[in-house]
Amino acid sequence: MDVKKAPKLASQFWPEFIKRKIVLVVLIQIFISLTVGAVLIFSDAVDDNPLWLWVIVSSLFIVQLVVSVLVVISITRPTKDLLAAIINVSGEQPKLPLPNPNTTANEQTGFRDALQTIYQLSADKDQGKSVEKIKLAEQNNSLISDALDMTNCGFIALDKNRKVVYSNKTAPVHIDSQGEKIINLIFNGSDTLNAWLDECAENSVHDEHLWTRIPDHLPNEEGRRFFDVIASYQKGSATETVLTLFNRTDSYVVDEENLDFISFAAHELRGPITVIKGYLDVLEDELSDVLKDDQPELFHRLVVSSNRLSGYIDNILNTSRYDRRHLKMNLSEDTVASIYDTISDDMKLRAGAQNRLLSVSFPADLPTIAADRASIGEVLGNLIDNAIKYSNEGGLIRVDAKANGDFVDISVADNGIGMPESVVSQLFQKFYRSHRSRETVAGSGIGLYISKAIVESHGGKISVRSEDGHGSTFTVSLPIYATVADKLKAEDNSNEGLINEGNGWIKNHSMYRS
Amino acid sequence: MAIKTILCIEDDRFIGEMYVRSLKKAGYDVDWVVDGNDGLITARNKQYDVILLDVMLPERRGTEILDALRGGKEDLIPKTHVIVLTNFQQDDESRIAMQKHADAYLIKAEITPKKLISVIEKLDDRAVTP
Repeated sequence: MDVKKAPKLASQFWPEFIKRKIVLVVLIQIFISLTVGAVLIFSDAVDDNPLWLWVIVSSLFIVQLVVSVLVVISITRPTKDLLAAIINVSGEQPKLPLPNPNTTANEQTGFRDALQTIYQLSADKDQGKSVEKIKLAEQNNSLISDALDMTNCGFIALDKNRKVVYSNKTAPVHIDSQGEKIINLIFNGSDTLNAWLDECAENSVHDEHLWTRIPDHLPNEEGRRFFDVIASYQKGSATETVLTLFNRTDSYVVDEENLDFISFAAHELRGPITVIKGYLDVLEDELSDVLKDDQPELFHRLVVSSNRLSGYIDNILNTSRYDRRHLKMNLSEDTVASIYDTISDDMKLRAGAQNRLLSVSFPADLPTIAADRASIGEVLGNLIDNAIKYSNEGGLIRVDAKANGDFVDISVADNGIGMPESVVSQLFQKFYRSHRSRETVAGSGIGLYISKAIVESHGGKISVRSEDGHGSTFTVSLPIYATVADKLKAEDNSNEGLINEGNGWIKNHSMYRS
Repeated sequence: MAIKTILCIEDDRFIGEMYVRSLKKAGYDVDWVVDGNDGLITARNKQYDVILLDVMLPERRGTEILDALRGGKEDLIPKTHVIVLTNFQQDDESRIAMQKHADAYLIKAEITPKKLISVIEKLDDRAVTP
């Protein structure tokens, strides 16, 4: 069998069929005409005149032939139309001319309904077909996205404008009021996705970056998850940035609970501290006439110690808050001098109690800065505390400030033991203690860590210059108020009437966080 | 309008005593209650110039008291200043909600009696020269 034979088309059937039928009709007519002729001859009906015989037989043949062909054409027309309609519906090519169901004849015979039934079948089938086609395309497209939706990993693709063009089910995104997908990731400090993309846009063609422990919600919000995030960047690609997010909630949530415990414990410590500090403050006045000899000095030590204790508790609380992405800054216009005023008495006492000289001078024409007064007070307190710890008896600690571009640089310098360069880079890590300080100086190693976090939350920078054996200078750079005033005003400051006194209230301020 | 009467709602005996002692010495009339229910009742029964409100209180939290006094349509204590005093800095929206209805939100550990008095004096100044 010849398997390569082209498949027979339905449309080929009709010409062949009609040809055979016509031939059959012609043959039948010839047979009938001959039979009639023979009968006439044998019956002697036409005598001896053969001309009559031929006339009769020929006219009979022609009339019958014409009538038969017309009858054949007429009775096969519905069959032909049905075939044409079916071929049409089947979609086979080439098509036969499409029969019109609305002719008068069709209407009269009711054949119109039959044709319309077939056309309706075709319409139904077409509809089913297009739905099926779309379904198929969708299936192909959604096969991958279905697969990705099944995983516990998040996938997000961004175009070159950093718009989310794809995200799977697990990916932490929400849709904003404009209908755009927004990524919910709360990065810590200045190491954000946007900052990295800025850098990539400038310097890289292809790059990758890893962030660990990135939550998608703030603490106490429901369904909070933690991700390790890998970003892949390829310049010029349709999906320029692809984020792969590993859901690590299970392993990180334990740390979170520990942080909650630390925060709770630190809060508890504040109760007794409140009473100790409060009564020391009250009694200092009430006992001023009674204390004698070295008693006022001893009393000072109580005050210094309780203030330091309170400062350490603040450090722990802020660190726990920062690690939970919950350190909030309330930035307002302030001067370096008035911030320092809030800790000045305490610092004087601390330096005096440890026999250090403290020299503080701020130029009068220093521009105002955008600062959270309480937090920057803590930073300066931490830096001065460090300077006291790492300098020698009788040493000088200088605190000064100067304008530097869009920033005000506040520096705290000592002539103490300093440190080698290898130590400097690790200095701002959590719980880092230098080899020497481990043996000689008490401390928890979170003071500089949280100071850096606070300064960076202001949009500022903290840096250190140090020479081994000759002392260190820490510099805090904070934005000049005028340079960020517009941004700050754009924030909703609804608590204007509150008293901003002491280390008071903290407003919800998320300006430098993303 | 000089500030004269103060209601202190504080469950910690030492802290409460400390504030009451200093405020009385400074010449204020001070009432002190130690639980949230009494705090709300007292605040509604008598008009005070200032209410010192702790947050972590037995029976009824400071947030609830503030909400009952100022959260409804009508401010039940329109002439009273509310100073929230807490050692638990709230990490959540309840803190923001409190700030909305309070004149100040202060951390107790940072507020010695002397500082508290200076805060109250400032409120007084502001009331005189708005």
